[in-house]
Amino acid sequence: MGDNIYLPQLARVAHIKEEVAGERAIKTFRLEFDNGGGFEHECGQCAMLSIFGRGESMISIASSPLIRDYKQFSIMRVGRVTSAFHELAVGDVVGIRGPYGNSFPVDAWRGKNLVFIGGGCGLAPIWPVIQTAVAQRADFREITVFYGGRSPRDIMYRAELEKLRGAVDVHLSVDKAEEGWDAFCGFVPANLMAKQPAPDNAIAITCGPPIMIKYVIENLRSLGFKDEQIYTTIENKMKCGLGKCGRCNVGKDYVCVKGPVYSWAELKELPAEY
Amino acid sequence: MIDLNALRTQAADILETGEVGAVIGWRRGSRGMAAEPVAIVAPEEAASLVWDPTCFHNLALYLVEERKKPAQRQVHGGKPIAIVAKGCDARAVTVLLQENHFGRDDVYVIGVSCEGTGVLDERKLAQVLPGVEPDGAAFDGDNFVFATSEGERRVPAREAMMDRCLECRNAHPKLNNVVFGEETPRDFDAPFAALKRFEQRPAAERWQFWQRQFERCIRCFACRSVCPMCYCDECVVDSINLVVTPETTAAEKADRVRWIERSASRADNIGYHMTRALHLAGRCVDCGECERVCPVNIPLRLLNNKMEREAREAFGYEPGASIDLPALVASFRDDDPGQFIR
Amino acid sequence: MEALLDKNRLKDWIAALDGWEAYAPARQDGIWSYQPAGDNPELNHPNTPQPPKGFAFPQREIFFKFEQVKGEAPRLTAVSPAPTFRVVFGVRPCDGRAVPRMDRVFSDHVDDGYYQARRDGLAYVGLACNTPPSRHCFCQSVGGSPVSTDGLDVLLTDLGERYFVAAVTDTGKALMQAAGALLAKPGAAERKEVARLHAAAVAQPQRGVNDAAAAPAKLKAGFDSPLWEELARACIGCGICTFLCPTCHCFDINDEVTGTVPLKGSRVRTWDSCQFPDFTMHSSGHNPRDTLGSRLRQRVSHKFRYFHENFGMHQCTGCGRCVSECPVGIDIVRVVNEIAGSV
Repeated sequence: MGDNIYLPQLARVAHIKEEVAGERAIKTFRLEFDNGGGFEHECGQCAMLSIFGRGESMISIASSPLIRDYKQFSIMRVGRVTSAFHELAVGDVVGIRGPYGNSFPVDAWRGKNLVFIGGGCGLAPIWPVIQTAVAQRADFREITVFYGGRSPRDIMYRAELEKLRGAVDVHLSVDKAEEGWDAFCGFVPANLMAKQPAPDNAIAITCGPPIMIKYVIENLRSLGFKDEQIYTTIENKMKCGLGKCGRCNVGKDYVCVKGPVYSWAELKELPAEY
Repeated sequence: MIDLNALRTQAADILETGEVGAVIGWRRGSRGMAAEPVAIVAPEEAASLVWDPTCFHNLALYLVEERKKPAQRQVHGGKPIAIVAKGCDARAVTVLLQENHFGRDDVYVIGVSCEGTGVLDERKLAQVLPGVEPDGAAFDGDNFVFATSEGERRVPAREAMMDRCLECRNAHPKLNNVVFGEETPRDFDAPFAALKRFEQRPAAERWQFWQRQFERCIRCFACRSVCPMCYCDECVVDSINLVVTPETTAAEKADRVRWIERSASRADNIGYHMTRALHLAGRCVDCGECERVCPVNIPLRLLNNKMEREAREAFGYEPGASIDLPALVASFRDDDPGQFIR
Repeated sequence: MEALLDKNRLKDWIAALDGWEAYAPARQDGIWSYQPAGDNPELNHPNTPQPPKGFAFPQREIFFKFEQVKGEAPRLTAVSPAPTFRVVFGVRPCDGRAVPRMDRVFSDHVDDGYYQARRDGLAYVGLACNTPPSRHCFCQSVGGSPVSTDGLDVLLTDLGERYFVAAVTDTGKALMQAAGALLAKPGAAERKEVARLHAAAVAQPQRGVNDAAAAPAKLKAGFDSPLWEELARACIGCGICTFLCPTCHCFDINDEVTGTVPLKGSRVRTWDSCQFPDFTMHSSGHNPRDTLGSRLRQRVSHKFRYFHENFGMHQCTGCGRCVSECPVGIDIVRVVNEIAGSV
């Protein structure tokens, strides 16, 4: 038999950071490979992570491809496998296979303005692009990041976002007003309309809860963004990551191969089964 | 003999007057000569209803459509739903009433008596008339009458009838708002006849038999899906990921026990079928649908019959006999010999 | 390569296939299925309720075993299918046509080693359908034929007392060469008879999809049709149509734990079905296909639209199992025709 495409590599948990606490907690895991293992990836790609005895889950790679020493994943506790991840300690060993899926066409975006719009844990899939763009700052023009959570405690990557300031325009928001919060109060799409980013020579990249994405896209279009200028990612239930198991099938596409990155021009051609 | 036109008129009338919001019955299908389930809402659709030996389905299933939502009621503005029911189907409706899925006023039972016959077993027919694929089937009292391209073919009913019908306890629907057909004497097999025959085989042989049967199961879950009594939100075989709502917590999902693996291995298949049989004890009305739909021909009725007979012998209980009786596992008698319950 | 084989010498041919395990349909417990070929296999079967797809794509496949002592790294042991050579006799042409379709899925984008390893050792000896088609057959309307050789290595045609044996592939030739003197050279009369039988088989009337070529565009246009829910109203949501389909390939992957201290178990692939409600359910509870109609649409659209958009051929081969075995008579031919007729 040739390569075993279902056999994961082993990776060690090198660092764990608690991003958000509570019922829908988010933790960020840094995974390192021993003995020259690992793989290269591109912005937007995913990997299938395993905890043996629990199963596998497809998670976006949240670190920039420029970082080769480790891969980073921000995981919300929602189910069987992700809950097991939240029980892990530094030094534990997990399984990983990938990378899977397509990627954001970052090279084609050089020389353009980038507008990132994230909500909840939807910052993770677009984070590698932000990191890459900041690392290669001179290649891009204005970079703007809109990001919002339900409350100040739901803002992930808080310290990293603050560090971006100067290189990037950062516009944070929370859904409901709270004492001590002096940035925008309201939903992310509203914050977007308040700041009115210009569509000229710009690309908008959005990820977050489906309802947020829906209104962000509507608002971007009303700001003059063309369908081809808007990018998002979709995440259906996946089992194989290899375009075979059929779980993530939407229209003719197996999202694990043809996605998860789509321009709105491409995505609106698919059935809305995501 | 059942007057089909009278049945159609009845269905049209109760739709016309608004007494019911829909009638669940059978119409001509496109899968060979077989009838297919249909829910009609307009009086003029009543003309499409049929009654013949291919009306195998136990339509009580659709009273708990989409697993436990008294579905048709929601669709039809809170009006009662009518259901065309054979004797066994009516017993299933009775069990659902006993288990409080809906009230007696929510369902209107149009009973159809199987009289001296029963429904067709297509696998038997393929053996009795090999190579013949009839265009239609009818009863003539003693025989199935098949319309074929080479004229009519008659087959004695008992040769091509479902096993469940041979052993039928009550071919005339006792629970009904209106009933078509007569309560006629039947002279087929005694109840549990096949079970008795099977039990005479040595234990080792029976175990071998069941191992072979369960080895074959492909876990398509048609037996569960077709069963009116298998309405649980959460089934023992679905402990992996069914019934997740936005309110289900991560801990609940993570902690769900996987009693039975997804693999169609013999051990897991036995676990599935045994659990299902036990959950049907005192509830299964022997409509035999699980056995009919099984694509690999596992004789599931033997299991369910066994449980049914246990309930009958231990407690004198007959599932679906009357809506005035409590459900078996929800009832208690002062003279119960079990001490644990006191 | 073409030859004649006396029917009563079929068993001798099988015996001569050194190194091959042979399978053929047998009726056991009232049901036809592929079984190890017994002493005297007779290929007089109607099509088996289960297609032969499990030979290359078994319902359960172990990918690897894992073992982990708490606090230590897990140990993974890959499991590969043992190399075997298996020849399946009596495959009907509709099921033969399923083979290249499955091959496409499991080799597209990246090779699935498990499927490939099993497939590499498999040969299919087909049997032409020269008796009248069943009421559920519709191979001809989806580009097939009762005498199609697509996906087969050898095609047998029943001539009464003998089979006309025709090699389709090099593997088929090798199988025939192993028969040696059991095979006789056919004459012009036999060839003529085969041609006549094949023409007669093709001329048998069949039901079918009205215009399969137009189906992808029609199903696309009818995507939002209310008819989908209407046609799925009686659906009970079981897995018969997909599990018995020769080209359905969806699967699940799970960890099956057999011991906890130390942790022991296997990662296992099992067939899955787009008709099960939890198939597409996200961990959040959101379900992109949460109705019976949307799931029927997925199954039918995959067969007659999406697969065609990707590979230029219909995935459905017209075997009719999803129709004949459906507990409530949901009929893919009627579904395609009604949706197509509504747009």
